[in-house]
Amino acid sequence: MNEEIDESDFYHQDFTTASEWEVFIARLEEIVHQWKVDDLKEEDATNLIIKQGLWNIKQEKLQFVDVEFTLFYYKNTSVQHKSVEDDDDTKKCKHPLENLHDFVMYSESHNNLECPLAEWYGLNEFITLNFSSPNGIHVESQIKLLLSSTQLAINNTNCTIPIFVQIRDKWQNCYLGVYEDEQIRTNFEMIHLRKGPQHCQYLTGLVDLFKTKIMSPVSLPPITVSVQLTFHLIEFGISTWKQDLHDIDRENFDLESICALPFGVTHDPVTNLILKTTWSHLPDHLIVDSENYSDFDPMQAPKWSCYVVMTDQSLCLLSESLSDVLNTVNNNSSVYDILGDFVSSADHNLDNPLDLLTEPKLPTFSTVLKRAARNSLPKSSKGVAPLSEEVLVPILYFLFPDADDENAFPYSSNKEKDNGDNMSSSHTPSMMETECKGFKTCKENSLPWRIAIMFVQTLGMLGGPKAAAHLWFEFVQEMRFRWEKSIPIPGLPSGYPDPRTCLLNQKLQMLNCCIERKRARESRETSTPNVENQTVDPNSSTDDEEFYDCSPDKPDEEDKKRARHSLWNQPVGRLGKFENLKLIKTGDPLYIPITQDCVPKTEDQLEEDTDVLLQLGSDAQGSELRAKMMSASLLSDMESFKAANPGSILEDFIRWYSPRDWIEESELDEWGQKKGYLSSRMLISDNAWIQMWESAKPVPANRQKRLFDDTREAEKVLHFLDSRTLSQISDMLFSIGSHAAICRLYEECEQVSSVLPTAFKSLQRIIKYVEKISRNGKICDRIGGNLIQQIAALELCISQAHSLLYKLNPSRGCEQNIDPFVEKLMNGDEIEIEGTSKSYIGGRLITMFSEAQKLANMIMTEHGGLVDHHPTGNITFPHPHQREFVMRVSAVRPATYSIKSPQFLRTILSKNEFRLVGAFSEDVVFF
Amino acid sequence: MSNEKRKDQERGIEESDYAFQLRNRGSRLLSWAEIPLGYFTHDNMAGTDPKWQKDAADQNFDYMFKLLIIGNSSVGKTSFLFRYADDSFTSAFVSTVGIDFKVKTVFRHDKRVKLQIWDTAGQERYRTITTAYYRGAMGFILMYDITNEESFNSVQDWVTQIKTYSWDNAQVILVGNKCDMEDERVISFERGKQLAEQLGVEFFETSAKENINVKAVFERLVDIICDKMSDSLDSDPTLVSGGAKGTRLTDAPQGPQAANCNC
Repeated sequence: MNEEIDESDFYHQDFTTASEWEVFIARLEEIVHQWKVDDLKEEDATNLIIKQGLWNIKQEKLQFVDVEFTLFYYKNTSVQHKSVEDDDDTKKCKHPLENLHDFVMYSESHNNLECPLAEWYGLNEFITLNFSSPNGIHVESQIKLLLSSTQLAINNTNCTIPIFVQIRDKWQNCYLGVYEDEQIRTNFEMIHLRKGPQHCQYLTGLVDLFKTKIMSPVSLPPITVSVQLTFHLIEFGISTWKQDLHDIDRENFDLESICALPFGVTHDPVTNLILKTTWSHLPDHLIVDSENYSDFDPMQAPKWSCYVVMTDQSLCLLSESLSDVLNTVNNNSSVYDILGDFVSSADHNLDNPLDLLTEPKLPTFSTVLKRAARNSLPKSSKGVAPLSEEVLVPILYFLFPDADDENAFPYSSNKEKDNGDNMSSSHTPSMMETECKGFKTCKENSLPWRIAIMFVQTLGMLGGPKAAAHLWFEFVQEMRFRWEKSIPIPGLPSGYPDPRTCLLNQKLQMLNCCIERKRARESRETSTPNVENQTVDPNSSTDDEEFYDCSPDKPDEEDKKRARHSLWNQPVGRLGKFENLKLIKTGDPLYIPITQDCVPKTEDQLEEDTDVLLQLGSDAQGSELRAKMMSASLLSDMESFKAANPGSILEDFIRWYSPRDWIEESELDEWGQKKGYLSSRMLISDNAWIQMWESAKPVPANRQKRLFDDTREAEKVLHFLDSRTLSQISDMLFSIGSHAAICRLYEECEQVSSVLPTAFKSLQRIIKYVEKISRNGKICDRIGGNLIQQIAALELCISQAHSLLYKLNPSRGCEQNIDPFVEKLMNGDEIEIEGTSKSYIGGRLITMFSEAQKLANMIMTEHGGLVDHHPTGNITFPHPHQREFVMRVSAVRPATYSIKSPQFLRTILSKNEFRLVGAFSEDVVFF
Repeated sequence: MSNEKRKDQERGIEESDYAFQLRNRGSRLLSWAEIPLGYFTHDNMAGTDPKWQKDAADQNFDYMFKLLIIGNSSVGKTSFLFRYADDSFTSAFVSTVGIDFKVKTVFRHDKRVKLQIWDTAGQERYRTITTAYYRGAMGFILMYDITNEESFNSVQDWVTQIKTYSWDNAQVILVGNKCDMEDERVISFERGKQLAEQLGVEFFETSAKENINVKAVFERLVDIICDKMSDSLDSDPTLVSGGAKGTRLTDAPQGPQAANCNC
C-alpha cells in the first residue's frame, strides 16, 4: 500500500516536454472548449446592447511565454436563434460572410462594440486574440506564429467561428483572421495605411485590385458594389444658432436685456453635421468612379442619412448665473465691508435736514428715486460706485415702477391679477402654476422676484459681488426712504406676511403693513382735533349712528341716556350693532367695538414667540403664564368693548366674543331677549376671563397702548435688511432665482416640446427639487450644485433642440416630418432622410452645404488658391470626408472545379486613413 | 448703531450642521420640509455627543412631532388634551386664551417620539393668532362636538384654514368629541364618517370624559405621520443623485444598461 502511494507521487511529475507554443495552443483550446460548454448552458456573460442587437461578450486571459493576451468572444445573441432555424432547414452551416451587410447606422445612444470587426465584415460571432502590452505586435514572424497557433486551435476544436489576431499597434485596429469549416477556408486580411497608393483612390482601381487578389481561374461574375460617401458640415455660416444675447452696454444701458434671466449656450451646441449618401448593391460593370469622372453624385444617391455631433462643453448661461449666486453664499462679508468707503461717505452726505420741513409731507413719486440715487452717489465720492448711475437708475425704476408715471414695467395691480386668475381658472390652470404651487418663494414678477433677478444679473454680468452689494444697499435705502415718507412699497401682495412665501417676501409685507398703519395713524392725527372738539361738548353726540338711532319721538329715553352717560362715560369706538342684542343691565343695543387689528408676524418672529412659549414649560404654571402673555389682545378687545358699551357686563362681552359660552333659556328678559347664563367654565371662580374683565378699563382702541408698534417693527425689518451679509442675501434670493429659472426653462421647453418630449419630465424633477430647496431654508453647496447640474443638462438639451430646429426648419413652418426627425437626431442616432435630396430636410442640408462651400471657395480665392474641382462637378458638397466601398463576389477558388466561395473587400478612404478590409475564401476539399 | 449691526451679523451666521442645530436648540420645531438628509439613518444622535447628554432630560427623543388640536369653541379640545397628556378630566377648563401646549413622549417602533401638542382657542377672534402656529405642524386633530351642529358645520372651514396655512403634507384626523353624551347627540356617527371620507381623512368618535378613543387618535396620527415621512424620504431619488452634466435626457433616470457597461 505504501509503495503504491510512493509510486503515484513519484510519477506525478510530467516528463513530456511541451514547448511554450504547445502550452499556448492547449490553453487556447481549453478556453474555446469551455466557452462551447458555457454556450450550451446558456450562461450569461457580459451583455451589451448595441444597434445590431444584443451582444454577448466573454473574455479570458492567457499567456504566451511572458506576453499576456486576452481572448475575447463576441456573439450577437439576437441573430443566433434565426441562424439555428436556418441550420435546421438547410442542415448546413452558413458561411459567416454570406450576408448582405454593408453599413451600420451610427448611434450614440447605443454603445458600439469596441471591436469594429462586426461592423466591417458583418459578422455575428467571432473570437479575437488581443495583446495586452502597449507595444503592439509588429514582427512578421510573431504574427505568423500567432496566426498559425490560432489556426491549429480552431482545427483541433472543430470550431467554426472566425478567429482573429490583433496585430500592429492597438489604435490601428488591425486584425488578421481565419475561418474554416468542412469545405471552405477564409483568410481575413487587412491593410491599414496613412495614405493609399494613387491607383487605389477610386472605385475603378479598387475593383481591379479586388479581381487581382482573387485570381479566379475562370471569369468572375459581376462584383456587387456598395458605396457610402460621408460629408461633414462643420461651418454653419448663417445657420449657426445664436442665443439672443444682449451685450451689456454700460453707456446705452437697456433694461429689457436684463429683466429676464439669461438662457442658452454661448456657442452653437451642434458642432458637426454628418451626411452619409449611400448606394447599395450595384454591379461593378455599370458604374464608373475614377479620378476624372464619377457616377456617384451625392444628389442622386438613393439613400441619405445623417446624424449630428453635439458638444457639452458649452457654457449654459442660466445655470451659470445661478451658480454665481450659489458661490456667493460662501461670501460672508457684509454689504458695508464690500462697498467700503463709498457707503460711509454716502451716509454722511444726507440731504439738507431742512428739506424735511420744506418738502411736502407726501413727495411726488418722481422725486423718490432721484433722492435715493443722490443719496448713494456722493458728490465727492472717494471710490467709484460699482454700479454706475446709467445702470442703477433704470434698475431702480424697474424695481419701483411707481416712481415713474410712464414706466414700462408696472406691477400688475392686485385687482388685475385677480381678474387674470379668474380668467385663467376658466381654462385649465397651466402646468407651471400647479407645479410651482408648493414653492416657498414669492409671487411671479413681484418685488422680491425682481430683486432676485436683478441680483443674479448684477452678480453675473454687471460687476459681481460688489455690484450686487451696491444693488442691495440701494434697495435697503429705498425701503428706509419709503418707510420714512410713508410711501407704500409696490409689487407685494397686500395683507399680512404670508408664511407660505419666503422670508424676504414676508419681511417686505411686514414693512408694508407698518407703512400702512403709519399712514392710517398720520391721517387720523390730522383729523383728530375736530373729533376732540366734539367730544368735549357733551351736548353734541359724536356718534352719528347713535344720533340717528335715537328716534325723535322718544325724547325721554334720550334724556335718560344722556343722564346716564356722563361726560367721562360717553360711548366711543363703535363699529356697529351686534344683531339685536341688548345689554343685559341697561337694555341699550350691544355694539361691536372697533378693535385693534391683529399683530402681523413674520415666520422668524413666530418662531421666536414659539420658543418663548415653549420655554415656559408644559406644567400648569407655564400654562397660566402663557395665558397671561397671550391675553394682551383679549384685554384690548374687552377695553374696546367696555368703551363702546358703557354699562356692559362680562355676560354681554361673552355673548359677542364666545357665544358658545352663553347658554340661552326660553324665558325672555325685560328687554325682550332670551335670558341666559354663562357656561360653567366661564363661572370658574377667578378665571382668566373674569380677572381680565375686572381689570379692563373702558378705553377705545385708538387710545389703547398699541398691540403692534409699527415704528419698532419697521425698524426691525429695516435693520434685518440692512444687516444681511452677501451670503445671507444670496441664500434668501437663491430659491426665488431658481423659481424664476424654472419659469424660464418652462417657456423654452414649450418652444421645443415637439422635439423634446422628455423635457417636461426633466423639468418636473427639477421643480420637485426646487420645492424642497425653497422650503429647506439654508442652501448648501451640494444640493444647490446638484440642482444647477440638472438645470444645465436640461438647458443644454433645449439649446440643442433650438439649434437643430433653427438649422433644419428656419422658417418654423409646420413641416410635419421635421419634428420627429429632429427628435431622433437629438438622441444622437443616424437617421435616414426619406426622399433624400428632394425632401424638405434634404433641401435644407443642400442649402447649408452649398453655403459652407461658397464660403470656403471665397476664402480659397482670396488666398489666391485654385478652386478644387471635384469630379462630381458640383460645388454643393465638399470633398467627401470619407468614402467607403464594399465589394463582394462569389468565386471558384483555387481551381476551376472548386466550389463557389464568398470574397469580400471593404475599403475605407479618408484624408488620413487608407484601410482595406478583405476576406478571401478558397475551397479546401477540391483543389 | 454700526456696532449693533456687527453683533447682529455675528449672531446671525451659524453655519453649523442642521441636525445638530436642531438638537442644540431642542425646542426647534421639526417639520418635514426641514428634516435634513440622512437624519433618520442615525437616530442615535442623542447621547453620542457629550454636549447633548448634559440636557438629556428634556431632549431624550428620536423624533419630535408638532401636532395641533383645532375646532370650534368649547368642543372639548382642552379636555381632550388633558385626558391624553395627564389622564385627567375636569368638567370645566377655563376657556383657552390664545394658544397653549402640552408635551408627551410616546414609543413607536422602539423610537421615542416627542409629541408637542398645541391646544388652540376656538373663538373666531383668535383665528389669526392661532393660524400663525399652523406652520410646521405635522398633524392636525380637527374636532367637533357631536352635540353641536354648528361645530360640525364649521369643519369644512377649518379644513380650508389648514390648507391655507399649513404645508401640504400635514396629516389630519377628524374627531367627533363628547360621544358619551348620547342623549344630546345631533351628529350621527355616519354623518361624521361620511364627511371624513369626503375630506379624505380618518375619523374617530371620542370622549375625553369617558376616555374613549383618545389614545387611539394620537397613536393613529403618529402612525400616519411616520408612514408618510418614510414614503417621502424613500421615493425621492433626486435628493440623492442628480443628473450628470451633458447627459441626454431619457424617460427614466439612467437605467441599468448604463450600469452594465463595463466592456
